This record gives sequence, C-alpha cells and structure tokens, in this order.
Amino acid sequence: MTTAVLEVKDLCKTYIINKRQNNVLRNVSFRIDKGEMVAVMGPSGSGKSTLLYTVSGMDKMTAGSVSFCGRDLADMSENDLAEMRLDDMGFIFQQMYMMKNLSIIDNIILPAVKSKKNKDSRRDIVKHGRELMHKLGISEISENDINEVSGGQLQRACICRSMINDPDMIFADEPTGALNRTASDEVMEELTKLNENGTTLMLVTHDAKVAAKCSRILFIVDGNIKGEYNVNRKLSLHERERGLNNWLLEMGW
Amino acid sequence: MYLRILKKDLKRKKTMNVILLLFVILATMFAASSVNNIITVLNGLDYYFEKADMSDHFVLTLNHNGDEIEEFLNNQPNVKDYRREDQLFFNYSALTQNGKKIVDLGNSVLLLPIDNGKLNYFDKDNNVLKEVPEGYAYFTGSLISKAALDFGDEFQTKLGDTELTFKYAGIAKDAFFGSEMFNNPRLIVNNSDYEKFMADEKVRENNSGIVFYINGYDKNTLESDLSDIPTVNFNKGISVVKTSYIMNIIVAGMLLIVSVCLIIVSFVVLRFTISFTINEEFREIGVMKALGLRNSSVRGLYLVKYLGIAVIGAFTGLLLSIPFGNALMKSVSDNMVLGNDNALLINIVCSIAVVLIILLFCWRCTRKIKKLSPIDAVRSGQTGERFSKRGLLHLGKSKLGATKFLAVNDVFSSPKQFGVMTVIFTVCLLLIMGLANTANTLSSGKLLPLFGAQESDAYITSTDMIAKVMTGEVTYREMCNEIEKKLADNGMPCKVTSEALLFPTLEANGKKASPAFMYNRNTNSSDYMYSEGYAPKYANEIALTTPVAEKLGIGLGDKVKLTLNGKTDDYIVSALSQSLIQFGESGKFNENADIPEESIKQVLGFQIDFDDSPDKAKTKKRIEKMKDIFSTKYVDDTDDFVMHCIGTDIKDTINGVKLMVILITAVIVIMISVLMERSFISKEKPEIALMKAMGFKTRSVIGQHILRFAIVAAVASVISIALCLPVTKLCINPIFSIMGAINGVEYNIKPVEVYIIYPIIVVAATLTGAFFTAIYMKTINASDTSDIE
Repeated sequence: MTTAVLEVKDLCKTYIINKRQNNVLRNVSFRIDKGEMVAVMGPSGSGKSTLLYTVSGMDKMTAGSVSFCGRDLADMSENDLAEMRLDDMGFIFQQMYMMKNLSIIDNIILPAVKSKKNKDSRRDIVKHGRELMHKLGISEISENDINEVSGGQLQRACICRSMINDPDMIFADEPTGALNRTASDEVMEELTKLNENGTTLMLVTHDAKVAAKCSRILFIVDGNIKGEYNVNRKLSLHERERGLNNWLLEMGW
Repeated sequence: MYLRILKKDLKRKKTMNVILLLFVILATMFAASSVNNIITVLNGLDYYFEKADMSDHFVLTLNHNGDEIEEFLNNQPNVKDYRREDQLFFNYSALTQNGKKIVDLGNSVLLLPIDNGKLNYFDKDNNVLKEVPEGYAYFTGSLISKAALDFGDEFQTKLGDTELTFKYAGIAKDAFFGSEMFNNPRLIVNNSDYEKFMADEKVRENNSGIVFYINGYDKNTLESDLSDIPTVNFNKGISVVKTSYIMNIIVAGMLLIVSVCLIIVSFVVLRFTISFTINEEFREIGVMKALGLRNSSVRGLYLVKYLGIAVIGAFTGLLLSIPFGNALMKSVSDNMVLGNDNALLINIVCSIAVVLIILLFCWRCTRKIKKLSPIDAVRSGQTGERFSKRGLLHLGKSKLGATKFLAVNDVFSSPKQFGVMTVIFTVCLLLIMGLANTANTLSSGKLLPLFGAQESDAYITSTDMIAKVMTGEVTYREMCNEIEKKLADNGMPCKVTSEALLFPTLEANGKKASPAFMYNRNTNSSDYMYSEGYAPKYANEIALTTPVAEKLGIGLGDKVKLTLNGKTDDYIVSALSQSLIQFGESGKFNENADIPEESIKQVLGFQIDFDDSPDKAKTKKRIEKMKDIFSTKYVDDTDDFVMHCIGTDIKDTINGVKLMVILITAVIVIMISVLMERSFISKEKPEIALMKAMGFKTRSVIGQHILRFAIVAAVASVISIALCLPVTKLCINPIFSIMGAINGVEYNIKPVEVYIIYPIIVVAATLTGAFFTAIYMKTINASDTSDIE
C-alpha cells in the first residue's frame, strides 16, 4: 500500500482584490504518494502556482484541508509551518532566488545550518553540501558568488539547497522556466534522478517536455483540476511527450 | 510620457519615496535651525547687548551720591556719553513673604524704578519693558528661580523703616546684572513705589546706588583712571560683563556643537539615501535604456523626481525648523534675549541650499546611469562582471548560527551602508558623551583649581561669617580659629584655612589694573596650578592671570609695582595662571608675602580639613552636622563649593541641556533606525520572502535585521568610548579656554554614566526603532517569492 505524502481535500483559495472576491482555487482535491513526481499544468492564471504555495504551507488556504505527511496544515501555527518547510520540504523557484551576500555553498547549506533537526556538525553539513553539488555536477562553483555563474548552474545549486535537509517532498515552481533548453534538460535530468532515488516531487510547468518526465500530470483550469494523466514511464520520452500532448489537446490546451 | 513614468514611479515606490522625503524634511529642519542657532549663538551676546543698549564701560557706586564720578566723567574729553541710573540696593533678607525670607542669595539685590532705567529691560517674550504697574515688581537674574513666585504672589520689601507689599509681575531680562556670575538680581518697580522708599531718610542714606553706563573712553585707561576714586565700587568694561555670561555662552556653545552634529548627520544620511535609492533603480534604468531612452533623458527623469521630493521636503522642513530651533535655544534664552533679525531669511536660504545639495548629490549619483547597460535590467543591477567576493565570511567555517551569521555577514558585505550608520551613531554618541563630560565637569570639583583654591573636606561660604571679616568684626584668622574650636568641641578636630582676597593696584608700562589677589599663608604656592613659569618662590614674586598680564603689557620675569594699603613695592611676575576669579583677572601672592592680617577683608570661604581624613560618607554626615552648628546651609563639599562659585542655577541649566541633547539624540537615532530599516526591508523583500519560504521563522528574520543594528550600535559604542576623551578635549577645551582655562581642564568623567548608560541608551534607541519597523516583515509572506520581480 502506498503512503500519501500530500493529501488535499476541497481546497479553496480566495483573494479579495479591490473588494472583489477572486476564487483562485475551487474545491481542489488530489493526493501525491511517496515517490511520485507530479506535474501541475494549466493555462496562465489557472491557479497552478497558488496551488503549489498553498499546499506547501507558504500561503494560507481559505477552506478545505491539506495534509502533509499526516499533519493537517490548517492546525499548524506559522512557526510550525516554517519548521516544516525547513525540515521536511524543499523548494525550487523559477527565478533561482538566493541570498546575495552568500557564496553558492553557503546558500546551499543555509537551511541545514538553520535546521534544529539536523544535528550534523558544521563540517559534515558542508561535506554533505559539496556531495550534493558534486552529484549535480557543479562542484567547481561552490565558492562563487551567485552572479558569477550561469542560470543552469544556479538552478542546480537551488536544487542542492532544496535537498540539503533530505526533505519528504520537493516543490518546484516552473524550475526550468528561466532556463534555455540545454540547461532545462540538465535540470530536469537531475530532478528525475532525484525522483528515481525516492524523493517525492510536485512541480508546476508549462512545458510538456518537462511534464512528460513526471509520473502524473494534474491539469488545472480556473482553479479546478480538470483532468489527471498518468504517464507510462516505460515508454520513451518522445512517446510520452506525444501522448501527453494529445491528452492536453483533449483538455483544450 | 515623462509625467506618466514619474507618476507610476511615485506610486510604485511609495515607501522609498516617502523615506527619502522624510530624510529631506529632517535634513532641512536640522540644517535650517542649526545654521540659525549657530549664527544666533555666535552673535548672541552682541545681539543681546545691542538690543539692551549696553555701554562700553560700567561704574557702580553704593552709598554715595555719585557726584565725584560724574564730575570726573564730565571733565574727560573722550567720554562720548554717559547715562546715570539711580536705584536702591539692599540685602536679600529684606525680601519676605509673611515674615519669612523668600530667597537666600548671598548677594545684594537692587531695586530699580522703571523710569530711571537707562538700559532696555525685556519681559519673558523679549519685549522691552516700558512700564510697571504700581505695586508690582518684575524679577531679574537668579531671583526668578530662587524666589519661585507665581504671577500675582505678594511679598514684602522692607528698607529702612518703610515696608511695601509688591505683587510679582513676572520675569525681566537684565543685560548688565542678569548673569549667573554677577548674581545681583534686580526688582524693577514703578517709580511711585521707589519714591515711597526714597521718602525714608534711612533708605536714602544706606541704600542708594548708582550705575553709570559710559561710552567712548578707552576701557583700560578708564579703569585705571577711575581706580583712584575711592567711591567707585565696581569699575569694569563690557568684556567683563560678557565674561559674566560665560556659563550661558558655554551652554550655547554646547548647542552649537549639537547643531554642527545635526548638520553632519542629516547630510550623511541624505547622501546615503539618495545613493541607496538610485542604486535600487538599476533595473528600471536598464529597461529604459533598452527601450532606447538617452542617458540625458533617463538622468533628467530622476533629477525631476528628486527635485520634486526635495522641494516638498525642504518646504516642510523649513516650517518645522522654526519651532525646532526655538526649542533648542530655549535653554539659553531664559535670561538672555537671543535671536537674529534675519532668522526667517536664513531658514529659507538653508532650505534652498538643501534642495541644491540634494540635486548635486543626485547629479553625482546619476552619473552611474551612463555606465548602466540594458543587461542591468536582466541582471537586476548586477552586471556579472564583478569578481570580488561580496561576503567575507563563510557559513561553513563559522561557528555562528544561521541568523547570527547572516546578520554579521550582511554587515561585512555592505561596509559602506553599515559604515554610514556606524558613523551617524558614533557622532550621536560622542555628542552625548562630550556634553555629559562638560556638564559633569562644570558641576564637579574639577574646576576648583580655576577658583584658586586647594581641595578640602568641606567649605563654609556663609555670607554672615564672611561679612564678619569684611566689617572688621573679627580677623579672618580669628574666624578660622573660632571655626576650628567649635568643630573640635563637636568632636571634629580639623584645620581651617581660607583663601584671602585682596585688591591691590598694579602698575606697569604706565597702565594700571586692579585684579583680585589670592593669598593663603597655610598653603604652598607650588601646590597651585600655573600655565606658564614657576610658582612664586619668594615673598616678592607673584603669579598673574594672562588677561591681567596682557592688560599691563607685561610677561614672565617682568617687574610690576603693587600698591596695597598705601604701600607700594616691586614684585616679579614668576608665573602666568588661569582663573575664574574676578572674571579671569586675578593674581596670587607667595605664602610668605608681607600681608598684614588686618588688611584681609574678603575671603573666598573657610576651608576645613579634618584631622582624621574621613571618607566621603562620613564627610557628608559632618557637613550636615556643621550646617546645624553654624546655622547656615552654606556648608559644601568640593562639588557644591564649585557650583556655589559658578552659580547654582547653571547646574540645572546644564543638566537641562544635557537631558535635551540625550532626548534629541535618542529621537534622531530612533528615526534613523526606523528609516534605514524600512529602506532595508524594501530593498531586501525578495530575500526576506525567500528566507521565509526556506523555513526561517518571522522572528529569525526580524532577529537578523535587529542584530545588524545591534552590531552597528555596538561598534559605534566601542568607537565612541575610545574617542570620548580626545573628542571631548578637542571640542570642549576651546569653550573652557573662554572661561580662562587656556590649557583645558581635567574632565570629570563618570564611567558608569558615560561608558555604560549612554551607549545603552543609544543601543536601546537603535534596537527599539529597528524592532518596531522590522515587525513590518510579518506582512511579507513566503508566497511573496512568486510576486518578486
């Protein structure tokens, strides 16, 4: 029996803009099991990023429930949510945000240094950080400033940072959105490897080629999950992409 | 399009624009009020004396009709004009309220009918006092605070056999006698009340006094010539009257330093903020250039924006500078008429200068626009060509926790940004420390050497006891013996000495001077302080203060003829000294000088040195006991004795200024912390959101920001503590040199107050400002990472 890492039921998110109610998410329900790699797709403004930020506890839900590793986010305080993001979740953003005054390695190890759960010595944390960088092929930029490296390298550094505390799940908001095709392929290759090694991933993307590397796709329109597509990962990438494109056409993409 | 971009910019960057506007307001307010105050302070006494119509020279005669002096003045061709002001003088004990004395001054009080006034006297609003209603009396000088009457309170004045009841009419400002040092307050009354006293023969005989205000005669010559007229009781030039305002000048000088510091702080902050805001706009500049706008157009856009902010800010600052400046000057304007006739014009000029300086700063800062390329728009202001390390520290090698490390690393990574704050806090802290050192020194015994006395356990300055010596009822030695005996009988064996005051006439190079000479047979001349030469070793050697030596045109080793009690001898000037006695005009005899005891009519006080050298607490108890034994409140320790000599009210004034400066500094520090932190939050919003997204709690992020301010405040405190004494000496010594302490003074530094309490105040003010602003970071959510540009 598979274990649910993330379980979302009737999730609603409403923004009030200029006294007008804007229902961004409407009764969204889904679950992500351990080891899954789920892509959220949909047109611009459909609520993909809001869904990601709400289920990861970064934003507050208006109604419904989100359970992460058995813990109901609605019952958790701001501090508990922060602790959960630090210890049990990893994040990758489209814009490759990093702390400007820190070197790449320091940016990567920062969550581990901050984490109370992580009892490793500072030396071991640095060692772990370097191992991750080595795995992702960016060892040579560890002491660099963040503006001395390419976008692809920076995003891979962000992936290292998201993994430094061995999270239960990684959330990625358009991780390849700001990268060229080569860099994008490299980053997706790393994320796929991560998933193959057991890490659960939820990512938001516009790119069918990226989504085709996932195990499941949630298609969201106007704040509702309109359809779900299971990818047969035994097929070649090309075949997966074609199948996905056909499905997306059916969905009205 | 220009206007639309500007409008959009003002709306979108509301926070930074408001911060800049606030700094412009602050800068204008500080600059305008401070420049005004500097001009007011520097011209302070001249302005006051001019308004009061003071003369070049002043002569006072008591109990004489003044005919001799008037005849002398009438026969002097170079006397341009003189004014005679008839009034009454009397002992302060004549002022009572329901049979009780209303003041205990230790000095004479004068009663002046308003119509006899030959100077302009001012009311509290600085209007010239033209009339006094019958039955009312205005108070001047120390009488105001010491009598502490409310408007309309009744009190009695008894002179001779005549007693009149007056109602208190309020405060009046008297340029001649109103200073703390003169401490000869006046009652200004209606002429009919004065006539009632003058109708009493006893009053006419015993209480009449005349002040002559003389113009157009060389002050040194006049002083010298008048010294031969025995009925002259006081005979000094305007410089001495000016010196009598030394404490007010010192307080004003302290404000001058405050003003200079405020100007420095305001412009440093302004320069920083402009550079900071323009640096934040790299991205927009890059985009505009990418769209094809020329450098001059982009630069013009920012100049127009800053001109708008500068004009609005400068106008608001101009309006605020007037009450702020008045509040600053209030502490010194209580017994002086301070101001300048061009105050508003100066404020306007300063405001315009601030606008021009802002534009100049902008012009310089916007030079960078030329260097910015469209790539900056893509890279958010970073060209990617900078290879120097931003952060100097390494988290991996550090033992600090994440929050602490980030704070320390931020400070090291942006040395300019945090350096500016450190400089500002250091200046603020040094300002408080310097003024506190001055205030503490002025109200301590450290100035004792300037009064020509040696340190003792206690000092009796009872006017009744001194009066017995003055009237010849007892000799000063007999009084010393009497005090010794009384104290011994009460179980306090001691040695009593006294610094005798003598008034010989000195003559050299055809010039004369009448300084006050100190003489003490029981101490060694070598124990006193001299600025040049050596202590008088022999009976025929004397020390003179520099002003006396300059007046006589003599120096070290020169001979001077000294006439005392009709006997003239030659003396050699062996030393030059500094002194506050007789407004800096004094001298010192050797202990073996031939001074007949009966010629000593004035003493500074009686100094008591207990045989058993008691500790401070015991001495304090004994002082209280002595007050009972001698039935006087005038038994002091060294600190109080110095305050007694300087004027007790000045201690309150100085403490008032000290408190005001602490408050102003705390407010400035808080404002700067608030505005700086708000700027940082605005600039670092992406990083704050990222930290929260990564799992940093809000309190950690707030902690990081506050810690940066704490580091800056702590560094500023350490620098200030290290620089405290040298900076105090550098800034305050010139003020003390005006008092006569040419070589400076030994400062009374209270380590707990100066090195602990003030840094704590500045650190606390910084952290308070930073904390309450940092709370705003609660509104930045982890999900804001999606909205960041």
